[in-house]
Amino acid sequence: MALKQISSNKCFGGLQKVFEHDSVELNCKMKFAIYLPPKAESGKCPALYWLSGLTCTEQNFISKSGYHQAASEHGLIVIAPDTSPRGCNIKGEDESWDFGTGAGFYVNATEDPWKTNYRMYSYVTEELPQLINASFPVDPQRMSIFGHSMGGHGALICALKNPGKYKSVSAFAPICNPVLCPWGKKAFSGYLGTDQNKWKTYDATHLVESYPDSQLDILIDQGKDDQFLLDGQLLPDNFISACAEKKIPVVFRLQEGYDHSYYFIATFIADHIRHHAKYLNA
Amino acid sequence: MEEEAGEEPVLDRTTASKDFHFYHMDLYDSEDRLQIIPEENTSMRREVVQAEMTKDPRGEGERKVQRDLQEDVDDLVHLYGLEDEHELGDEFVEESRMGVSGYLPYGMKRRDPAREQRDWRLEGEVAEAEDLGYGGWGLAGQCQDLREAYRYTHGRASEEYECYVIPEEEDEEEAEDVFCATCKTPIRAVEKAFDEHKEHEVTPLNKALESAKEEIHKNMYKLEKQIIEMENFASHLEEVFITVEENFGRQEQNFELHYNEILETLAQKYEEKIQTLGQKKKEKLEALYGQLVSCGENLDTCKELMETIEEMCHEEKVDFLKDAVAMADRLGKFLKTKTDVEISAQPDFEDQTLDFSDVEQLMGSINTIPAPSAPVINPQAPNSATGSSVRVCWSLYSDDTVESYQLSYRPVQDSSPGKNQEVFTVTVKETYCSVVNLEPNTQYEFWVIAQNRAGPSPSSEHAVYMTAPSPPIIKSKEIRSCEEAALICWESGNLNPVDSYTVELTQAETPEASGVTESVVGIPTCESLIQLQPRQCYTIFVRALNVGGPSTRSEPATVHTTGSYFHLNKDTCHPWLTISKDGFTVVRSERKILAKELLPSKTQFTRCVAVMGNLIPVRGRHYWEVEVDECLDYTVGVAFEDVPKQEDLGANCSSWCMRHTFASSRHKYEFLHNRTTPDIRITVSPKKIGILLDYENSKLSFFNVDISQHLYTFNCQLHQFVHPCFSLEKPGCLKIHNGISMPMHVTFY
Repeated sequence: MALKQISSNKCFGGLQKVFEHDSVELNCKMKFAIYLPPKAESGKCPALYWLSGLTCTEQNFISKSGYHQAASEHGLIVIAPDTSPRGCNIKGEDESWDFGTGAGFYVNATEDPWKTNYRMYSYVTEELPQLINASFPVDPQRMSIFGHSMGGHGALICALKNPGKYKSVSAFAPICNPVLCPWGKKAFSGYLGTDQNKWKTYDATHLVESYPDSQLDILIDQGKDDQFLLDGQLLPDNFISACAEKKIPVVFRLQEGYDHSYYFIATFIADHIRHHAKYLNA
Repeated sequence: MEEEAGEEPVLDRTTASKDFHFYHMDLYDSEDRLQIIPEENTSMRREVVQAEMTKDPRGEGERKVQRDLQEDVDDLVHLYGLEDEHELGDEFVEESRMGVSGYLPYGMKRRDPAREQRDWRLEGEVAEAEDLGYGGWGLAGQCQDLREAYRYTHGRASEEYECYVIPEEEDEEEAEDVFCATCKTPIRAVEKAFDEHKEHEVTPLNKALESAKEEIHKNMYKLEKQIIEMENFASHLEEVFITVEENFGRQEQNFELHYNEILETLAQKYEEKIQTLGQKKKEKLEALYGQLVSCGENLDTCKELMETIEEMCHEEKVDFLKDAVAMADRLGKFLKTKTDVEISAQPDFEDQTLDFSDVEQLMGSINTIPAPSAPVINPQAPNSATGSSVRVCWSLYSDDTVESYQLSYRPVQDSSPGKNQEVFTVTVKETYCSVVNLEPNTQYEFWVIAQNRAGPSPSSEHAVYMTAPSPPIIKSKEIRSCEEAALICWESGNLNPVDSYTVELTQAETPEASGVTESVVGIPTCESLIQLQPRQCYTIFVRALNVGGPSTRSEPATVHTTGSYFHLNKDTCHPWLTISKDGFTVVRSERKILAKELLPSKTQFTRCVAVMGNLIPVRGRHYWEVEVDECLDYTVGVAFEDVPKQEDLGANCSSWCMRHTFASSRHKYEFLHNRTTPDIRITVSPKKIGILLDYENSKLSFFNVDISQHLYTFNCQLHQFVHPCFSLEKPGCLKIHNGISMPMHVTFY
């Protein structure tokens, strides 16, 4: 598992780096970004995983969200993987922006031809953390996850499918109920086939119902002027209702005037970093 | 061996005796003793004696007696050896002192054949000793000298004696290394094992040395102290000496003055008396003379009458008759005039009494002195008063003699100048007086009069003294605190204003606190904001101060600087709300409906059913919690003190609140400021809301305490202090928890 450093830039006293490695799960070369705060020079730091949304690479978050200052202050190592396998030469992988390349949906595909490479769920929950734990000064016991849009969905399902694995979870405009939204239907049918029960194992709203009574503080920010919210792609109300039913603590903040962009993310990124720092640094 | 050992000392002893004899032989008459001392006694050491005699210019008789005496001993030494000599020497001295009686038991003990001889000799000695008693100096002086002589000889002998009798002593070169505490002597460690020190407590010599040194140092220190004390005492004595001189000198002058006055008075009296006496004498003599003259005239008249009558008797009858009638008239007239035979002046001196009363008075005034002049009363010394007493001081002119002072006082009351206050008077000997049983924080007027036998002095000036105030009363129920400070309020406890207050605080219950008391002084008002250390417990006292001094401490109040602690302000409380006894549960009951509408108020909430807490005005972080019912409609948050009371909380720019409304089984959470709220949905209804007010970062945050969930944070510009607010929109209750430390999770906001 050789790591190849692609870039390294000093940022808020720490280092923003990009590495490339050969992924076993995804069967391709994968890049990920990692921010090492100043604190990582002297000791182990908690790891916070960021899952990006559709069409994104590891670059969007690190260049647009402005998370570095908060991460530096709270002493968090932030890892931002790519959103899908790349260059796998699967037919149709680059045909649409919401499926295939840049749209891995953080599931383990079971359908051909995707099942060989599109195992993003295992990649972000197993392979990548193992690689990170082995290569960087992280405390494996302290790990949290957050994301945006499709990555918000990814963060929610990773947390809900692995009770106790993540100390906290948060999301920006997450796809909360993919089995009911156009993006989700398209992706899940493509990666998972037609079995709706399989879909539900990757649906945050459905996962809430089976989530055991474990402490998980979920913070969700949603722009009120988000076109995808209005289009019914995100469906946060379903998720909130499920959580209210199951008494899973959620603070859902519908932010007046904000859209789906990284400008929205940048506005509230510090709140989210703090939300995670509260649990990771407790 | 005994003999040899005895040999040499004999000579020495004799020499020693000779020296010794020089001192006292001429002090008593030794001639008589020549007969008493048997001749043979002296013969035994003849050579030696003769050798001495050549050196000695003195008469042989004197010398001989002494030599005999010495040789008695020497001989005995030879006879009985050193040990005997030792005993005998002692015995002899004893003998000389006590006479015969002391000897016999000794003689009985002896077992040697020479006993008789010795007895005899000793008898002689006794005789001599008795003889010595007749000398001018008596036995005691004699014995002293004898003892010295024998001590010398004994000293010489005992060196050898010791060498011989106690062979252990030969090891003396070997140093002692331990110290026997029981015998108080250094011994060698080996001795400890089998010697008389076996049972004794021993310490290493070094240690013993140390402790001995220490002891000596202690003693030296004591002595030094004593020296200082004695020096002080000496200087004190000097002072007394000077004072005595001064006082007696003054008294001498005084006596002189008075006696002169008395003598003058007496002389004057004498003059007066003499003059009066002379006058009286003259008057009496004149009166007597006058009487004598008139007596003589009467006599002449009588004689003439007699003659005339006799002549008439020789006259003719007719003439006789004629003349007789005339004569009878004349005689009758004459006889009618009473002959004054009373002595007009008595020869006695009638006025025997001498009036010495003025002299007596003068005599009486010899020992008294002029009445003292008015004392000077001092102004009040700072901090000299208590709440019920003042210490008044004054001074006198040094020449005055004062037997006592009369200190008078009355309270100063400018309100009723016409009404005379009762004047109290105390008599004291000193130039100060602690006047007790006064009213606190009250001015009293004092004046003092000195007096002695001659009378009282004029009054001093009047001075105003003030008693210290009563202790203030801390309003324990109004104490507010946070981690950095506490706001303490109190009642003055005094009707009249006081100068200032002092707050004293003692940190309690921590080992590092060590009970040090800090004071905040010069507080002009009845409240003070005191800076404190976080998470400590303090005991706080307040004192009131005026010119007289500080009051006693108030009753203590306890302050915990854990979290922020506030009370609800009942003045702001909407009438539909009741506050529980403990002050932290707010209840809105179902039945309470007001008949009439409330008038708008600046302090009391009249529209929303709310109450405000009194948070300490400190721009730090404050955290408190509110326990709520999940189905209750409530509003909690903060507001400026002057928030419009006829508006809902959150409906203006002066309040920031979280409002919960529960309708049709849906919870609605609003975070209201100026009527607006963000759109926030919360899936788990908090049962306990944590509220964090952070002035430094201008933030107000709300938390679900039970699950450490952050709910919302206001960014609010707090240009003035805010207070916690609690409102109940429906009947129910909420419970406030404060004075609790901030949970870890809220520190991230």
